Amino acid sequence: MDYIWQWNQIWDYRQVFVRGVQVTVILTCWALLIGMALGLLLGLMRSSRLLALRVPAAVYIDVFRATPILVQLVWIYYALPIISGVQMGNITSASVGIGLHSAAYIAEIFRAGIASIDRGQSDAAKSLGMGYGQAMRRIILPQAVRRMVPPFINEFATLMKLTTLGSVLAVNELLHEAENLINNTYRPLETYTAVAVVFGLLIYPFIWLSQRLEQRWKARG
Amino acid sequence: MSEPPIIRVQGLHKSFGKLEVLRGLDFEVSRGEVLAIIGPSGSGKSTLLRCLNFLEEYQAGEVLFNGQLVGYRRNGTGKLKLDSENNTRRIRARMGMVFQGFNLFPHKTVLENVMEGPLVVQRLSRHEAETRGRTLLARVGLIDKIGAYPAQLSGGQQQRAAIARALAMQPDAMLFDEPTSALDPELVGEVLEVMQALAAEGMTMVVVTHEMGFARQVADRVMVMDRGEIIELAPPAQVFGAPKSPRTAEFLRRVLH
Repeated sequence: MDYIWQWNQIWDYRQVFVRGVQVTVILTCWALLIGMALGLLLGLMRSSRLLALRVPAAVYIDVFRATPILVQLVWIYYALPIISGVQMGNITSASVGIGLHSAAYIAEIFRAGIASIDRGQSDAAKSLGMGYGQAMRRIILPQAVRRMVPPFINEFATLMKLTTLGSVLAVNELLHEAENLINNTYRPLETYTAVAVVFGLLIYPFIWLSQRLEQRWKARG
Repeated sequence: MSEPPIIRVQGLHKSFGKLEVLRGLDFEVSRGEVLAIIGPSGSGKSTLLRCLNFLEEYQAGEVLFNGQLVGYRRNGTGKLKLDSENNTRRIRARMGMVFQGFNLFPHKTVLENVMEGPLVVQRLSRHEAETRGRTLLARVGLIDKIGAYPAQLSGGQQQRAAIARALAMQPDAMLFDEPTSALDPELVGEVLEVMQALAAEGMTMVVVTHEMGFARQVADRVMVMDRGEIIELAPPAQVFGAPKSPRTAEFLRRVLH
C-alpha cells in the first residue's frame, strides 16, 4: 500500500473542527438538559405505585427505545410540521429529538437507581415524618445518583456521539463539517480519524471523572 | 387511670394478597408503658408494628394514636378513606421507629442523621437541630462518633445512633422492630442498656423482640403472638411464670432452652 497520509491539510483546516465542536457541544448540552429533566420525570413516574403514572411512562420508554433514532429525528424535523404546523429549526429539532430519545434511556437509569436503594431507607425517612418529595430529594436520590454515575456517563458518551446524526438534518456539527471538508480536500481517512480523536478528547475526561468519583465514594462506603 | 391510652388497636386485620397476616387484634398501650411483643417468626409481630405508624396499610379495624385514627379518615357516610399524606406524616412524626437493619442514611454523618428529622420535618434551625443532636448522641454514648459515617460504626453503635435519630423528633412513643436481632451477641447489651434507660425515663415503648430477658425485666406487659393473633397479653411474671395458653408455654419452651 502506498497511501500517503497528509495530516498537514487537516491542520490547515483546523478552524472547521473548532466550529464543528462548538455546534456539537451546544447540541449535546441541550439534548442532555432535555434528556435529564424528562428522564428524571419519567423515571419517577415509572417507579410510582400509581398505574396512571406508571403506564404512560412505560409506553414512552418502550416506544423510544424500540424505534431507530434516525427515524425519530427525521420524523420530528419533517413530519411534525405537517401534522402540527410547528416547524423547529434544524439545531432545535436535533436537540429535541436526541433529548427525547435519551430521556427514555435516562429514565431507565433513574428507575434502576431508585429501585436499587434498600426499602429500609424510605421506611426510615417516612418514620421520621418525611413526605414523598422530601424522602426522594434528601434520602433516596442522593444515594441513587451515586450508583447511577457509571451508567449515566455511558449514556452521556452515547448521547454525544448521537449528535453526529444531526448531520442528516444539515446541522453543522462536527461530522457534518468534516464531511464538507472531505468534499474539498478528498482526504476522508485523515478527516474521519481526526473526528474520532476530537470525540475521544471530548468524552474521555468524563469517563476519567466518573472513575475517580466511584473510587472516592467506594472509599467512604 | 382516667388517662386515655396513647395507642388503641381495634379489630385490626392485615393481608398480603390472600395471606392473612393479622387476624383481628385488640389491645391498648397506655402512656409510659413498655409493651414487649414476642412470638414465633411469621406470627405477624413486625407487621403489627408497621401498621401502628402506617408503614403498612391495614384492611380492616382501627389504629388510634392519641385518639386519632392512623392512615384513614371517615368521609361523610362514616366510611373509611385513605387519609392525606400530610396527616399521616404528622402522626408518624409523633412515633419514633427503630429498625432491625438500623436503616441509617449512609450518605450522611451520624450527626447529620440525627439532625435530619428536626431539620426537614420540624424545620428547626441548623443550630437548634445540632444542639439537640449532640445532646442525644451524648446520651447514647456516641459523642465521639459525631462526624463518622454509618459504615464506619459497629452494629451496636449504628443502632444507638438510629435510636438517637428517632428520639430527635421528640416522639410520644417509640416503636422498636427487633432492634437487636441483627447484632453480634456481644453488641446486644449496649443497645438494650439504652432502651432500658429510655424506659426508666417513662418513654412509651412497643418493642418487638427475641430478647426474653428484656421482655421479662423491662416490659410492663408482654404480648405473645402466633399466626396473626394475640394468644396472651399479661405482665411478664404471668406470661413467663404461669402462661395461660399452651401455645405460649410451647413457644417459651423452645426459646428458653
